[in-house]
Amino acid sequence: MRNSRSLRGQVAIVGVGQSPSGRVPGRSPLDLTADATLKALADANMNKSAIDGVLTGNAFASSFHRFSIALSEYLNIQPSYSNTLQVSGATAGAAVNTAAAAIHAGLAETVLLACGDSLLTGMTPDMAIRAMTESRDQQYEMPFGIPVANTFAMTAHRHMKEYGTTAEQFAQVAVTFREHARRTPGAQKTEPISIEDVLHSKMVTTPYHKLDCSLISDGAVALILTSAEKAKEYTQHPVYILGGGEYYSHEHIFLMPTLTQTGAVESSKKAYQMAGITANDIDVAGIYDCFTGTVIMMLEDLGFCKKGEGGAFVESGEITYGGKIPTNTHGGMLSYAHPGIPAAWFHFAEVVRQLRGACGERQVAGAELGLVHTLGAGFSTQASTVLGTENTL
Amino acid sequence: MNGLVIEKPLPTADGDSQAFWEGLRSGRLLLQHCADCGHVQYYQQRICRQCQSDNLQLKPASGKGTIHSYSVVYRAPGPAFKDDVPYAVLLVDLEEGPRMVSSLVGKDFDALDFDAPLTLKIIQINDEVSLPCFELAINELHSS
Ligand SMILES: [Zn+2]
Repeated sequence: MRNSRSLRGQVAIVGVGQSPSGRVPGRSPLDLTADATLKALADANMNKSAIDGVLTGNAFASSFHRFSIALSEYLNIQPSYSNTLQVSGATAGAAVNTAAAAIHAGLAETVLLACGDSLLTGMTPDMAIRAMTESRDQQYEMPFGIPVANTFAMTAHRHMKEYGTTAEQFAQVAVTFREHARRTPGAQKTEPISIEDVLHSKMVTTPYHKLDCSLISDGAVALILTSAEKAKEYTQHPVYILGGGEYYSHEHIFLMPTLTQTGAVESSKKAYQMAGITANDIDVAGIYDCFTGTVIMMLEDLGFCKKGEGGAFVESGEITYGGKIPTNTHGGMLSYAHPGIPAAWFHFAEVVRQLRGACGERQVAGAELGLVHTLGAGFSTQASTVLGTENTL
Repeated sequence: MNGLVIEKPLPTADGDSQAFWEGLRSGRLLLQHCADCGHVQYYQQRICRQCQSDNLQLKPASGKGTIHSYSVVYRAPGPAFKDDVPYAVLLVDLEEGPRMVSSLVGKDFDALDFDAPLTLKIIQINDEVSLPCFELAINELHSS
């Protein structure tokens, strides 16, 4: 065994809060993030004086380089542990894993994780261009007109070639998550869509149509993590971190080892090992859904089905209620909200609520074990986190 | 974007990549060959990514490659690319081994396919920058 250390069951999520999301004009990323924080504090019955750590991601529509420090000032919090993390879409999972490790190691007792942005209404033209182009290498990628969307498109295209995955199977992901969003208050898109609608929506970058692509939104999410010993002071339903794993396999898309298999294999393996479970044990999942094909590839790499079978898995209803692994029950980035880096924080908020049994008509019955998998930058960055109820400790 | 001049992102050479961009200006796509372990690499850096040796030699690529994957872009990634859409971006497997990102010269998208042979075509953008693009090697495809 490479590493016998573990944070299994040492840290719990005790508070969850969200700002309004979707189209929220006139509110800055800091305002939205502070709003989500106050709601998470209220959810945890916690005074902000209990917060001694703050982790965030950066916001494109904000000029602050140290968003976690700016947020702390905005809220008048003086943490003794803070950082603004940047591993693109995987920042959410990396932040949860990192905060849990920091709490376990004694660097902080109670950490606020918060992330907000206003990609939809808060971007100046300059900011929008920067957001679109700066995430790829300026020498060997961007001059060819390949922003991050095209890196994901080329992996999906290769998946079609190698495994016969179809455009209809991609579309089914969007259709399923739209059905989920229809049950979720506050979802940005709730009108029902069909596979035909997806296939007939405008082509963005082959093989992805407009409805294969995630939304653009405003919004923020906050989570509050504290030690397992302290957790019951704040909530009767702490959601424990049982395992965390990450993997960073490449920077340039042309150095991705294999286009159709990602570092999610390694990140999830590590998280499952730490948690002492397998993919088969998981009741509910939040999977980063920047594009429909991303979800199909992740279902394979996270171990829910075999390599190459993700398309058929989705087609046969396995990612919704009654299926093998109900996924993105809030509607995901394809239908609930996608404010950029904060997007995957919503996946955590949803899985926490599922494990609390607080999801009302979209509740997955008896959910005890959850997985959140976040990723980014053309599958460069991968972070898996296994969450569980008290019964799973 | 009233009056805002939108320019395409163009590469700025750094200490690692100066020879690469100079090579393209003189019509050659240079690859780094490691004299110690034989690894051939794209893009340029001071050390071999396989063995960390700095004993690297620059040799021009043959210019032959095949398509590993591709995507035809219909929605421009920002206003700078608006006049170009639709265009095809490529992941090219070079004959020497390395893979690279590039784009297709022309708009013959129907002829694009996985493993289709390509030929390097260096496109001069301005006095400083020439980009290594590719065109379909149609003739070769038919004769082979
Ligand atoms: Zn070497």
